[in-house]
Amino acid sequence: MRLWLALVLVANPVIAQPSSPGERAYMKCFSCHSVVAGEDGLQGPNLHGVLGRKAGTLAGFDYSPAMKRAGTSAGLVWDRARLEAFLQEPDSVVPGTVMARPPLASADERRMVLDYLETARR
Amino acid sequence: MRRLLLVMAAAFGLAGGALAASTQVYTVPSGAGPHDVAPGPDGVVWYTAQKQGALGILYPDTGRVVHVPLGEGSAPHGVIMGPDGAAWITDSGLNAIVRVDPKTNAVKVWKLPEDSGYTNLNTPAFDGDGVIWFTGQTGIYGRLDPKTDDLKVWQAPLGRGPYGIDATPAGEIYYVSLAGSHLASVDRKTGKASVIELPTPKQGARRVWADSKGDLWISEWNTGQLTRYSPATKAWKSWMMPGEKPRAYAVYVDERDIVWVTDWGLNVTRTFDPKTETFTAAYPGSGPGANVRQILGRTLDDGRGEVWLPESAHDRIMVVRAD
Repeated sequence: MRLWLALVLVANPVIAQPSSPGERAYMKCFSCHSVVAGEDGLQGPNLHGVLGRKAGTLAGFDYSPAMKRAGTSAGLVWDRARLEAFLQEPDSVVPGTVMARPPLASADERRMVLDYLETARR
Repeated sequence: MRRLLLVMAAAFGLAGGALAASTQVYTVPSGAGPHDVAPGPDGVVWYTAQKQGALGILYPDTGRVVHVPLGEGSAPHGVIMGPDGAAWITDSGLNAIVRVDPKTNAVKVWKLPEDSGYTNLNTPAFDGDGVIWFTGQTGIYGRLDPKTDDLKVWQAPLGRGPYGIDATPAGEIYYVSLAGSHLASVDRKTGKASVIELPTPKQGARRVWADSKGDLWISEWNTGQLTRYSPATKAWKSWMMPGEKPRAYAVYVDERDIVWVTDWGLNVTRTFDPKTETFTAAYPGSGPGANVRQILGRTLDDGRGEVWLPESAHDRIMVVRAD
């Protein structure tokens, strides 16, 4: 069970860079969220098709009680306006969320992230 | 605002073998979002004011707080005291390693190379040679030698996820990957990282801390387990935290080799005695959902220990002091 994998790495490798401004902005979400359909196992829910989705309802993801309540009790659906407000100040939209990302203070950055997520709904 | 909020004589669920302790809670500026905390020199306590782009300096004797701005766009995550007595910070907003001078509060910034992209810098640790190592959650780790300003970044072996990092008493570096669910040892000469798989798959290893013997203690976010790994023997052992659906977040080992671990879901920080293999005491957050993301302590001049718990949700910092 204790599998050791020795991996040789190259010093100062060129790290793959995002190809668009939207993807570049989305890198602030990348650590915890995937936009690849079906990819799971990360700390945050998969964001493929998140726009239009009821909060806390992606099948198979272990949401916080706060996020479950926001969707099932309060009826929160992620449209652009609600999601932008969440990115700006998560706790103001879903008090008690475990979303760890500090707020995206820049309106331009939020817009680029939302644009990128629009492409990921298709 | 900066006054002491609360002093409590504490006996929070003490079990056999637990030392009596008291807690005190300090308020920090509203909206600061204290993420990580580190005792500094001359009794001060630093914290990362993640939401306000500043290093917080708390003077525990009076409760006074000073914020040192770190620069436009700053969002500091981790902070530790370096061998030079300065505060060393991993700043995800600046994508940089930042040093704040303990005497002058002068800020020095080492930006990561442009080809690193945004790395979501997470946590730092100094090795035995005074080199600072760091993790970035997008899938990197790196090092900075403050003596030469030489800064290197490597792509992490299994991609995104590098989170907590620590040095053993011998000065060797280990980090854990939250998204990648593994431990990694780093060859400090070559920079090579070797993946060490934990016994439980998909456990979400979030933070790691070394005890005085060099054994590593790992908090497992997905499973709620506290896990020990001995590099000398390659032996593993895990203990499930008490309660329903625990979520282990922060982990720290104090001067007595007592392990401190935070259960995010139940809003409590617990101590674990490796000798009896039992959870011995529980310190609830000062309010609901305190969101303690990190733990760090120190030994006072009189030999007593104190352990600091930043409550990121409440803009408070709790300290637990041995009586």
